[in-house]
Amino acid sequence: MRLGVALALLTAGVPLVAQSVQGRLEGRIPGEAVPVVDSLVQVALREGLPSEPLVQKALEGGAKQVPAPRIVAAVRASLGQLREAHDLLVRAGDQPPVRPGEVTTVAWALRRKLPPSTIERVVAELPHPPRGPAIHAIADLVAHGFDPDSSAGLIIDAVHDGLQRDRLLDVSTAALHEVQRGRTRDEAITVVRQQLPNVPGPPKPERGTVTRARRPETMTPPRR
Amino acid sequence: MSTIDPRIHEALDGELPTDALPVELRPAAQTVRTAADLLAAPVPGASLESRIMAEVRRPAPSPLRRAAGWLATPHAVTLRVRPVWSLALAATAAVFTLFFARDAGPQLGEHEGIAQFVGRFPDARSVHVVGTFNDWRPGTIALEDLRHDGVWSATVVLPTGTYEYMFVVDGERWVPDHLADRLVADDFGRENSVVIVRPVHR
Repeated sequence: MRLGVALALLTAGVPLVAQSVQGRLEGRIPGEAVPVVDSLVQVALREGLPSEPLVQKALEGGAKQVPAPRIVAAVRASLGQLREAHDLLVRAGDQPPVRPGEVTTVAWALRRKLPPSTIERVVAELPHPPRGPAIHAIADLVAHGFDPDSSAGLIIDAVHDGLQRDRLLDVSTAALHEVQRGRTRDEAITVVRQQLPNVPGPPKPERGTVTRARRPETMTPPRR
Repeated sequence: MSTIDPRIHEALDGELPTDALPVELRPAAQTVRTAADLLAAPVPGASLESRIMAEVRRPAPSPLRRAAGWLATPHAVTLRVRPVWSLALAATAAVFTLFFARDAGPQLGEHEGIAQFVGRFPDARSVHVVGTFNDWRPGTIALEDLRHDGVWSATVVLPTGTYEYMFVVDGERWVPDHLADRLVADDFGRENSVVIVRPVHR
């Protein structure tokens, strides 16, 4: 009896998710794209992949008034990136089930053209999630022309020196500031490495900024 | 031992006419003569009557001095207020407190931060920011051109995390944020801006 109830609840879970996804998509993307996107979301759920990036990509396409085939193609491509990110994490040493947040972060880094080998190195050398800030920091440096291996080395050193989470973003910011001051990228990495772990923090928001801040009505979960 | 010039002595004693003194000694001679006159004058009687009359004749202090004196002197102050007025006063204070508490901005959670969106759109009639934080729903977060100089801005509270976004100008033109540190291909032929919202500790 109990087993039956449990099975019923488990099988009821997927339609509930599907229903909520369809509810978010209907009226926001072309009607013919809804069932296809919904089926891709179901595939992601079955494979243990995060589904929110797929929903967001579909909603983005709908808001930008992109035709249905292109929305479906973009969602399909996103699903492929999530699979690639998942496989990369497992290959680098993560044990399944992999955290959805990690998969999303790695997929995002791949979209930002971070070499898979660099991500594998980060995962291998930083075995304890979350690695999101580290990967974001490296992607920021690479996007500004830094060598991927040197960037990864700097951020990994920062972690070993005790910097964690968002403080790692201060490391990449410090390196970018050194370049703005006229140093070469190699010099910037050397200088910032010498500063570790005492890189400058982010500027505190002014009181007026905090006072003006308003909470938007429609919120969705962040993409880590 | 006196240090006064002997010629001054002679002038004071009447042995020498004052005019016969050298010019440089005349001020000193005058000073000494004045002092001698004062010493020679009779001392007024310090009777009670004379002291009272002196006090009466003394000019009254200025209003400012009197006010300063009153402020510096301890006084017993009795405030008599009807209970209904004290309740009204308490209610007013509560309303003011609530007003200023609201004006101090939102209370941020541990996993919340602030994102500032700024763009220059001189001829725009409206600018909104849309992205993964609001399900890409146009119209939910409006930017304002507070100084009417074409610089539109919005400051919003968001959960910490990474978001993609774009500006929508006049409800139809999609524009990336050129001030953003990060851009990423949107898979639709354009680029989204990326913002990382970090926690704010006040």
